[in-house]
Amino acid sequence: MYALGVDVGSVSTNIVLVDNSGNVVEKLYIRTKGRPMEAVRSGLAVLKEKYDDRQIQSVGVTGSGRMIAAIQIGADIAKNEITAHAVAAIQMDPEVKTVVEIGGQDSKIIIIRNGIVTDFAMNTVCAAGTGSFLDRQAERLEIPIEQFGDYALEAAVPVRIAGRCAVFAESDMIHKQQLGYAAFDIIGGLCEALVRNYLSNVAKGKELLPKVLFQGGVAANKGIHKAFENELQLPVFVPPHYDVMGAIGAAILAREKLEREKKKTMFKGFSVSDAEFKSRSFICSGCPNRCEVVCVLENQKAIGYFGDRCGKYNNRSFSSPAVYV
Amino acid sequence: MRIGIPKGLLYCRYHTFFETFFSKLGSEIIVSEQTNKDIMDMGVEFCVDEACLPVKVFHGHAASIKDRCDYLIIPRIMSICKKEYICPKFCGLPEMIIHSIPHVPKVSMEPIYMQNEKEFFKWCFSAGSAVTKNSAKIKKAFISAKKAQKKSRTGIIEPGQKLTVMLAGHPYVIFDEYLNMGIVNKLRAKGIGIITEEFVSDSETCEEVKKLVKKPFWTFQRRIFGAACVLLRHKRIDGIIYLSSFACGIDSVIIDLIRYCIGHFPMLVIKLDEHTGEAGMDTRVEAFIDMLERRVLNENYNPSPWECVFSGQNPV
Repeated sequence: MYALGVDVGSVSTNIVLVDNSGNVVEKLYIRTKGRPMEAVRSGLAVLKEKYDDRQIQSVGVTGSGRMIAAIQIGADIAKNEITAHAVAAIQMDPEVKTVVEIGGQDSKIIIIRNGIVTDFAMNTVCAAGTGSFLDRQAERLEIPIEQFGDYALEAAVPVRIAGRCAVFAESDMIHKQQLGYAAFDIIGGLCEALVRNYLSNVAKGKELLPKVLFQGGVAANKGIHKAFENELQLPVFVPPHYDVMGAIGAAILAREKLEREKKKTMFKGFSVSDAEFKSRSFICSGCPNRCEVVCVLENQKAIGYFGDRCGKYNNRSFSSPAVYV
Repeated sequence: MRIGIPKGLLYCRYHTFFETFFSKLGSEIIVSEQTNKDIMDMGVEFCVDEACLPVKVFHGHAASIKDRCDYLIIPRIMSICKKEYICPKFCGLPEMIIHSIPHVPKVSMEPIYMQNEKEFFKWCFSAGSAVTKNSAKIKKAFISAKKAQKKSRTGIIEPGQKLTVMLAGHPYVIFDEYLNMGIVNKLRAKGIGIITEEFVSDSETCEEVKKLVKKPFWTFQRRIFGAACVLLRHKRIDGIIYLSSFACGIDSVIIDLIRYCIGHFPMLVIKLDEHTGEAGMDTRVEAFIDMLERRVLNENYNPSPWECVFSGQNPV
């Protein structure tokens, strides 16, 4: 019996199967590419080959695309990323006191004391220091993102780059390139700049105590990992499933919830990977708010709406209601 | 004479006064609609880029009614309490509007010093003179408007099922449902109790700020900071949600001041700007509520968070 966890993020969609003793038995990392439903569908199609609907005991979703994914697959719980990441981190390592999570579009810090989240923060208006920014810079420098970290470790003298704003960091970096600094040193400098930016923006005023876990897609980047250790003067641990921690947390939360409420899962089954999912958006003209409403269609049939402020569409009941807690 | 009143900035607090005053003078009152997408778009289009969102929205309100009225009330509110001031953007509001929006009708230019009856009447006399030359009538309208304003109250106080949060921030952010993406309803739907700074008395906040080395310069700084400390000390709240508009200078001071004095007490700061995507806010609010619930369930984690207020020395 497995718990299915899905984390629909801006850059990647992660799907995991967690068994009853908390082990990750299956893990998929799919690029979202701006089409969350297609990413979820293709992930489920892979699992369908190996697993049976009856083996899935509970389903949890998280990430910025959790609303749409919950409607699509029939989730038992749709939880925010912070709670999901914290739950997974505590399960992995009960000693954890600080979680640094850097994903595609946002970065967070979660402070945990005695197994309880006591404080957290997310980046506010700037996405500097997140995965998509690094992706973009790797592309500029024509280096595969997978090797980005190795390049950074080669840096002899990391160049100082302004890290406060993604746009300015980029122009600063271009200037340094024009002046002929080595690519290694520029990348090393970029990693340091991002860590500085993170610590002074997101982690501002927080007490970072060991043990520190570093998770999210960016944790794969050895350069950033090393820059964190240097800056914090602490060992920073990257858990084995660092890239899918949100999905693991969602799976754990879903299992806990169903056990507590003694309910059956709402999972629609792996057959959803055969269905055709589309979404269409329109502007409601009911009032001057002009909400941008999104309608999710399964085989041309509307299965859910969201995006309206008044609940005119939101509250319509469907056969597969998603549970938001 | 049609008097136009934009429903932005401190309208939420003083609308009773302005509406009563001008209706007693016998003028027709045109009030803009609740903030909506059109108003926001117009505001962003007309206003200078550096202004904060509420000022931009105010521009939108003014623009939406400018063609339907003969006289536009742009309150240049300088001060509402003795020796304290309001955000500096209010000082230049009439000029900003005249400069940025084409074809505005006549605009009220006089400054408003609300704490002083004589000074305040000066404004009313100048604005009222645009409607009538009868000064006795203006005086009478002023008195009844003051009376009506005294009776009106703003603020939110609602009991929750388990948790109560203080919703902090400037009133024009808290009471503009469009601007703050309906956070009040979001909290209500989760069964969270809400209290705003209006439910802490002026004298209590004054007592509280006496502990600071420097007296607050802005009224809202004293009110919000003082109220947060009082509510926390009396254990009336489990957390603080601070709604801040991006680029608000005063908020940056208040937030750091509160942070400094509350120790580990939970506070969530939400920065608001033009975006309409609600996912970012939902995630933060949801996670914050989750955190509060778990803290309450495990109270022994932090013996008494309330005692950290002003614990030990206070060098602020």
